[in-house]
Formats: sequence, structure tokens, C-alpha cells
Amino acid sequence: MAQAELAPTEIHALARILDELDYYGLLHVAPGASVADVKRAYFASSRCFHPDANRHLPDDLQVAIARIAKRVTEAYSVLRDPRRRAAYDRRLATGGSTRLQLAEAEAEADRSELQQRGQTPQGRQYFARAEADLQRGDTAAALRNLQTALTFEPGNEAYRRKLQELRRRSR
Amino acid sequence: MAEIAIGIDLGTSNSCVAVMREGAAQVLPNAQGEATTASVIGVREDGSILVGNLAKANLIHDPKHTICSAKRLIGRAFQSPEVKKAKAISGYEIVPAENQGLRIRVRDELFSIPEISAMILRELKSIAEMRLGQPVKKAVITVPANFNDNQRQATKDAGRIAGLDVLRMLNEPTAAALAYGFGRGLSQKVAVYDLGGGTFDISVLEIGEDVFEVLSTCGDTFLGGDDFDDRLIDLLAEEFLAKHGTNLRHDPHALEKLKDSAERAKKALSVADEVEVRIAGITAKVDGTPLSIERRLGVQELAVLVQDLMQRTFKVCDEALQQAGVVARDLDGVILVGGPTRLPFVRTAVRNYFQQEPKAGVDPDQVVALGAAIHAATLVDTRQSAYLLDVTPLSLRIGVAGGLAETVIERNTPVPIEQTRAFTTTQDGQEKVLIRVYQGESRASSENEALGEFEFGGFRRAARGQVTIDVTFEINADGIVNVTATDRETDLKASTRITLSSGLSEGEIEQILDERRTERVKTQPIAAPREVIGAVRLVTTPVRAVPEARPRAAAAAEPLDEAPVAKPRAAAARAGAPAPVVPGDFAEDDLLDVDLDNEVVLPSRSEPEYDEELIDASIEASAGLFDDGADAPELTEAEEGLLDTSSDASLFESAGVDLTEDDSPEGEEPA
Repeated sequence: MAQAELAPTEIHALARILDELDYYGLLHVAPGASVADVKRAYFASSRCFHPDANRHLPDDLQVAIARIAKRVTEAYSVLRDPRRRAAYDRRLATGGSTRLQLAEAEAEADRSELQQRGQTPQGRQYFARAEADLQRGDTAAALRNLQTALTFEPGNEAYRRKLQELRRRSR
Repeated sequence: MAEIAIGIDLGTSNSCVAVMREGAAQVLPNAQGEATTASVIGVREDGSILVGNLAKANLIHDPKHTICSAKRLIGRAFQSPEVKKAKAISGYEIVPAENQGLRIRVRDELFSIPEISAMILRELKSIAEMRLGQPVKKAVITVPANFNDNQRQATKDAGRIAGLDVLRMLNEPTAAALAYGFGRGLSQKVAVYDLGGGTFDISVLEIGEDVFEVLSTCGDTFLGGDDFDDRLIDLLAEEFLAKHGTNLRHDPHALEKLKDSAERAKKALSVADEVEVRIAGITAKVDGTPLSIERRLGVQELAVLVQDLMQRTFKVCDEALQQAGVVARDLDGVILVGGPTRLPFVRTAVRNYFQQEPKAGVDPDQVVALGAAIHAATLVDTRQSAYLLDVTPLSLRIGVAGGLAETVIERNTPVPIEQTRAFTTTQDGQEKVLIRVYQGESRASSENEALGEFEFGGFRRAARGQVTIDVTFEINADGIVNVTATDRETDLKASTRITLSSGLSEGEIEQILDERRTERVKTQPIAAPREVIGAVRLVTTPVRAVPEARPRAAAAAEPLDEAPVAKPRAAAARAGAPAPVVPGDFAEDDLLDVDLDNEVVLPSRSEPEYDEELIDASIEASAGLFDDGADAPELTEAEEGLLDTSSDASLFESAGVDLTEDDSPEGEEPA
């Protein structure tokens, strides 16, 4: 059996400190871990904490394991999705809670994307043109339109990053 | 030794029971030696209840007292469109009950749908007990992946009513994937295309050795093989109306005959290019002259009739692939589940869509039960393990102001999972809140399935916005929903097993258990496995079908006339004429190949054309039920010549004699 056995005291301890662990700590992955690493960690955790794997244990342990299993699923659901994960990282960076409800993560990701696209109508318009240029493969036109977008929103980090990336590529 | 736990595929049209023994998953056939048992119950005049093909055979003569396709109604509200549709096409009476529920009235008795399902489960449990020679208590029961919470709860209730401890409710496609990948150390992405009698599901899974992760699942709970039958029925009824001016749909008996023939014709077209549908005396003119249907039907004709239904399945597939973040060519395999996937045009369409040959090797009617049996075994035996990481098929929502429903847990989120949302009071001095829970993909609450509602009160009276209530939504590994509300200030909790709008209350279940009506199910006694092999050999005494011979089907007993007569491809090519075949024959050579020491999967009497596969499956079982890389099996000439056109009743008589002769009482269920 592939399952890594945890001692009952360890299971209870883990269930108690769940709210203090962030998703990376819970899954034992580094903050920069790839999606493949996250998946491997999720599989490994499931072998330990899946309710089916622990049916033979006493009830109180099963309750603790069920709590851990649900949090593991939540952690995986956030970390495997780049949008949700970015929202979660922002929350951790600002000292927020170690949990992020999935619906909140979605809403936060939507907000953030909207912000990335620009706060002024003109900024958004020229950014969209630049994206269309890139689709056609016209890097020169994309560079021009991005620069125009930046004149409307000089502080927009997303525009600036995109511009730098394009300049590197066009060299 | 670990306890026995069985796997049950409770299907819309047919059900199947399997068990894991000595490292191999095996189907346990019924008294007639059939691998699957029709999901049909008949209530006889003396109150006794018949389940299976015997009951199904009665459908034509006694549609009012015969209940079929009950799975389409499970967990449904009386007012739902599904129930309305069923009312239009069912011979039995569906009546409204409390809490928007429904009952079926048969011979002045009212039965709930979970009770009907429980009777089928009890029959399967009895079959397993007789085959195994020991009592069986524990089971894994499969449900369509797209079943909502109401349907899952109702199915679980059915298990309880049948006297089973339901270890787990398993999604059908997940079970099929388990049967495919268990114990093989695979690292693959696969799709399971599951076209059942009443439902269509597609799941995309990633298998990583012992972990089976469902990446996405999508489905249509009202699209299945029954709809193929309906198209055929429509065709035949319309033609009849045009020709004779009589609408067969208004005559319950004629309609049942038509349904029966349509289903047989469809099955026959899985192995033949053309069938002849003959229904002698389906109805009569006013002066008493009998009217008949006689018509040839080609497989291409059926393909055209159901083309739009096939397209509907692929739209669902598009969605599932997109949600899983894969494209067809990323897949290492496609697994077919469900009887209709035997139709050649279904296989071709699936192959074209996924750009690869579907996996062959296991009977699509049995693969789900085999997977359920494997999972059941891993749940009672800690030495074996398989970790199923499934997803919730439908978004879980909470009702908010303005008739809207907000998402709490999106569909295709892995389970088990728990999510909490905070709510505050909206009025000064508010005493209670009403929490309404829905499942579905619409923002408008009315377009979703209502799972239930509950009131939460007892918190401090305060100005609006001052009281915070945490509502926690949990979906467990069975896909069943639990909701808990907590007053943040006092930590006071109220939880609910969401009371389904149309389901049975705890009291009703207790009452049903007290009435013990499911015990009226009369199961045919079965001999112990080894003797059964002998018996099956006996009843399947080889009679080679001679293509040129005068069809025994036509010459023999009267009911056979109602059955479509197949024109096997090879035989037809040789003889150039339709060559009907003898009922349920086995070619001699096939029989000699049967390993008599392998006491597992018996040739199915109703589907003899697949017996070779059945036997192979039992031998390979846990080593891998599937033949990797192999194309769909080419039918041998002998197999093609086999088509069961006998009536189920006559089939039983011949089998029954042989089987009941055996005296192995230890296998029988105590009276």
C-alpha cells in the first residue's frame, strides 16, 4: 500500500493547525512550484487523506481526516489555476487569511484582469489594438499601440511589462 | 479474509452486479445466466414482485403493472418536465405525492421510486448472495456522473431500503475508468463516453498509477438509448398512421409491442446491417381484421434518425474537453460504456470525434459494475487501494435577492470540498434567515434544480448588517451535499441534510422499511457457480445456425413473430438474402473454448454475440480488462450468425428447468 501512515496524534495536530497553514505548506510545495508539482503533491496528499483510504480508522480520526481532505482539495483547486493562484498570492502578500474561498478567488481574479486591461477607455482601446497586432504578427504596430496606451496610463505595470517583453523579442 | 462487498450498476434499462474475488472482478449472472438483469419490476395479482427479464417480458401484455425506466424518475419532482415526458410514454400510472414528490400506483398500492429501485437492488443482492453462497450487506452503487444531489440521495435511500450498506456512490464513468486502469500502473489521460439507456455522460480522467483524477465531467440526464428507440417508434407509428389511418400511440398494448420491437431492432442493428421488423396483429381494424407491421430497417436508416442526438453528445464532449483543458489528441484512450455504444455508427462517430479507435475488450454493459466491484473491494480490504478523485458535476448555488442564485462551488470542482460564505441580516431586528440551495448552471434560481431550503434563527436581534452568519456548503466524496449555518457570535449551529423537495423523509423511509414490501421480490433460485456452468452448457447445447435453413424463429412459437429478424452481415453477403437465425444459439466451436474451471462470467443468454468477450474479460480481469491498442473486435462469422430473437419468457423456461434441478440450498436466500 502506497499510503504514508500518519500517527493519530499527527493527524489530530494537523487538523488543529489547518487554519494556520497556507496552501503551499499544506501540500508541501514551494511557493513557485509548477502546476505539475502541485498535482503530484495533491496525489500524494490524497493517498494519505482521502476518506476512502481511512475507513478502518476510529470515527474521531476520520472526522479529522475528512477536514484535512477537504482543505487539501481546496488548496489544489486554487494552486492549480494560475488566475486563482495569483489572487491567493496577492492575499498572502498582504498578510490576509491563509484560506481563499473559490468564489472569492474567481471574483478577485476577474477584478485583477479588468485592471490589467486598463483603467481608461483609451488605454484599453490601444491595448486591445496592440493585442490584435500581435495576433497578426505585426510587432512594430503592436509596439506603437502599446506606447500610445502608456501615454494614457503611464502607471500601468501590465502595459509596461508587455512593452518590455515585446522589445526583447523584436531585437 | 476481508468482508465481501459487491458493485452494482443500477441502470435505466439494465442492471448488473459484480464482485472482486481472488484478485479478479467478475460479473455475477442471474438465474437465467444473463450478465445483466432488466431494470423492470412487475407486480403480480397475488402481490408478489418479479424483477428482471421475466417482468420485462410481461411489459407487452401487462404495461399497467410493469414498471420500467424508473431511474428516469428518481429524485425528480412531479412537476418536472422529465416526469411529464415519462407520463406521456409510460403504461403505468404516475401520481403526485407530498412535497412535490411522486408515486407509482400499481394494483391500488402506491410505490415511491426509491422503493422501486430498492426492489431491483434487492434482486441483484439476492443474485450475488446465491452466486457467492453467503450473505451480502455492503455495496458500491453507481450513478450517472451528472446526477444531482436529489437523485443521489434518492438512490442512496433505495440502497438502504434494499437492506444494503452503501459504502460509496460512484460515478459511472469513474467506475469504468477504474475497471480500465486498476492495477496496471498507468499514467494516462482517458475519456469515458457513456451512452446509457437514459443518460449520457462524458468524463475526462487522468490516471496516475493508483490515483484516478476526474478532470471534468459533463452530461445530459435526458439523452440515451431510449431516445434512439423513441425515434424508431415515431418512424414506425407515423408510417402506420399514413398507411392505415390508425395512431398506435393511442393504444397502450400496441405501443408496448412497438417499443419492444424498436428496442430489439436497435440491439440487432449492433451486429447486423439490416433487420426485419415484424409485428403480427399489432392492432385490428374496426371489423376485427388484424393489422401488422412488416418492414426492413437498415442500420444507416437508424444512423440518420439519431444523427442529431449523436451531435448533441459531441457538444457535451466539447464542453468536457474544454473544462479539462485537453484536446482530443492528448487522450491516451477512449472507453465506451452503455449498450448503445455497440451500434457501429456510434463507434464510428466516436472514433471520428476523438481521432482514435475506442478501447475494446470489455462488454460496455458490464464495465461499470466491474469498476464498482473493484472499488467496493478496495473499501473493505486495506491491502488494495485506488484513490478516486472525483468532481462535482453541477455548480452549487445559494439563492440571493432578485430571484438569482450565486455560485458557491463551481461545477467540476474536485470533491470532497467545503466552502463557507458569510451573510449578514438585511433588516433591523431580523429574527431568521431563509437559506435556499440550488444546483445548476443558471444565474436565475428558477432554472436550477432546487435542492432544498432551511430556516436559521435564534441569533441576536440587532440592527441590519450587525449579525453575521456563516453558511458552510459541503460536498462529500459521494457527491452528496450538506449545508450548515453558524452564528458567528454564539457559534450556534444549525445543519441540515438538505431536505430534498421531492424525496422521502426519514419517517417515510422508516415506514417503508417497516412494510418490508421489497421482500416480496421473488428471486429465481440459482445453483452454486460450478454447477451453473454445467447448466448453462446444457441449455446452450450447440445448434449451429444454418444460413439457408428455414428460420426456426418464424416457424416456431407465436411470440417470436414479434421479434425483428436479423440479417447477419456475413451470412447475407454469402446467401444474398435475409438469413434469420435460431434463437440464442452458440456455435459449437465457441463453446469448446470456454474454460470450465473459470467459474466466473457466464455467456449472456440475451446477448450471445458477446460471450467471447465476456469470457476473456473474466480471465484477464484485474490484470487489465482492456486490450490496449487493439481495434474493436472484428466479429467472427460465428458471432455474426448469432442473434437472440427468442422471447424472454420461453428463454427462461428452458433455463429454469436446468437450474432449479440443482440442489445447493446453501446458496439460496433464507425465506
